[in-house]
Amino acid sequence: MSLFQMAYTEALLAGALAGLVGVFVVLRRRAFFTVALTHATFPGAVLATVLGIHVLVGTTGFALVLVAIMIAISRLSSQGSQVASGIVLTFGFALGAVLISATPSLPIRVESFLTGSILTVNSADLWGTGIVLLATVILVMVFLRPLVFSTFDPRGYRAAGYRGWPVETLVLLMITATVVTIMPVLGAILSIALVVAPALAAKAITGNVIRMLWVAPLLGAVSGVAGLLLSSLLGASAGAAIALTAAGVLILALGVSALYSRIARSRVKMVV
Amino acid sequence: MIEYLFAPFQLPYMERALLSLVVLGVAAGLIGMFVNLRGLEFISDGLTHAVFPGIVIGYVLGDQRGLMIGALIAAVTAATVLTWVAKRGTGHDAGIAVVLTATFSVGILVVSTSTNYVAELEALLFGRLLTVTDEQLVQNLVICTVAVIAVILTFRAQLFRAFDTAGATAAGYRVFALDLVLNVAIALVVVSASRTVGNLLVLAFLIIPAASARNLTHRLGALIPFAIVLAVGSSWFALVVSFDASITADLQLSPAGTVVLVMTLVYALTLLWRFGVLRLFTATTRRQEIARAGGRQ
Repeated sequence: MSLFQMAYTEALLAGALAGLVGVFVVLRRRAFFTVALTHATFPGAVLATVLGIHVLVGTTGFALVLVAIMIAISRLSSQGSQVASGIVLTFGFALGAVLISATPSLPIRVESFLTGSILTVNSADLWGTGIVLLATVILVMVFLRPLVFSTFDPRGYRAAGYRGWPVETLVLLMITATVVTIMPVLGAILSIALVVAPALAAKAITGNVIRMLWVAPLLGAVSGVAGLLLSSLLGASAGAAIALTAAGVLILALGVSALYSRIARSRVKMVV
Repeated sequence: MIEYLFAPFQLPYMERALLSLVVLGVAAGLIGMFVNLRGLEFISDGLTHAVFPGIVIGYVLGDQRGLMIGALIAAVTAATVLTWVAKRGTGHDAGIAVVLTATFSVGILVVSTSTNYVAELEALLFGRLLTVTDEQLVQNLVICTVAVIAVILTFRAQLFRAFDTAGATAAGYRVFALDLVLNVAIALVVVSASRTVGNLLVLAFLIIPAASARNLTHRLGALIPFAIVLAVGSSWFALVVSFDASITADLQLSPAGTVVLVMTLVYALTLLWRFGVLRLFTATTRRQEIARAGGRQ
């Protein structure tokens, strides 16, 4: 596979993964948590490079540690969750900045950690993304009923006798795996767009959770590939182009759904 | 010791760096109190993202001067839009995240087309504290002064609105206008600080000192002075440390990053003060309370 073929494949797979998991982020209102998780991967990546360990270990570990600290601080009365995440995240950025400045000899690519570097993806990364995507698809299919039930009606789910925490843990694990996997594509700051925008677009054009579960990955994959194409045309950052394309797809979807409901409404008026 | 604390600032660039941070500390300490009281951290984060493309485009089009104009236009626009969106209700976190990331992406897109991408991005995101010029210092002072005056002029109303929105509306205050003033003030601070400490770290100045001050005192009148002292103190200490590190250990520490790390450390200490020390006291007094109550809880 050529470099470009690999980049486009990665964009496709990452977009599909982000779109799929994004459905749960959007429907379970975990956007804030996911933003925090994506931002927290930055210091993890820098630390991993400084310590000489694999980037994935650094991003996963540090992201989980920072999120745990955030939750701990927000549990303390009077320290709200917003304060907690604001402080922990700016701390993460500052730590990354200081580590980078302190190790000028190390090839830490700031912009790639912050805004992605899909063009440097290798076949190992592709395999990684593919496996995570496959695993997520299998998990979603196997646990479809509990996932959808608990997402739609958390109280009813618990009233029916199921415990909330197993599904919650599964969803959080899927989100974490996704965030860490797409970080090389879009970076710490822009990843949230690919996770959330396709799912929001799918929500706008389908009324239906099940349909969202395949429309969102489709839109995500399209955003990834189209964004990469756009970036090559403009000679600009791939991560930024993909994020903007995802946002553009969302705007398109919102427009289509608004148009559709307007037509539907006028049809009703004619009948009456 | 005194020598250690004051010597670095005899160098003009260190002095300007410190003055920039003092200006920022005062403005962010005052405005940060309202950010904290009203839980505006998310909106402030949004404002930093939304201002970014204005800063970038202004910089690309007109270098340092253009940066300010572009940034100011973006700041006022973003503040207005975000105030309006916030008024319409909550539950749009995901959508807001997309919008803010999109605006941030526009900035990244524009920067990435320049030949000096990495260095410029680093400067935009983490600031260039040690290359502040006199002219930039004056600009920062002016912008922050405008922001501070705007908030001081509406201080009573802002407080009222922060604690009792319904009461403030009933009393005749225009809540939307107050929110707009505060958000514009926040955006102005973000613009002024973006050159010195960068787009990603300015949020720390708005959030951390005020949060630390909350841990130290319950008195409203003491919150702002505490926040300002903590902000300026942390800046001072961090500048001294990073200067010393570069001279004695040949270790380059990002000055803005070091300031934020020190502020975080101070916050952690105030947390310990609030929840650690108090626990030592309550362990004794609870027993006394129970004893006083005659054994009943």
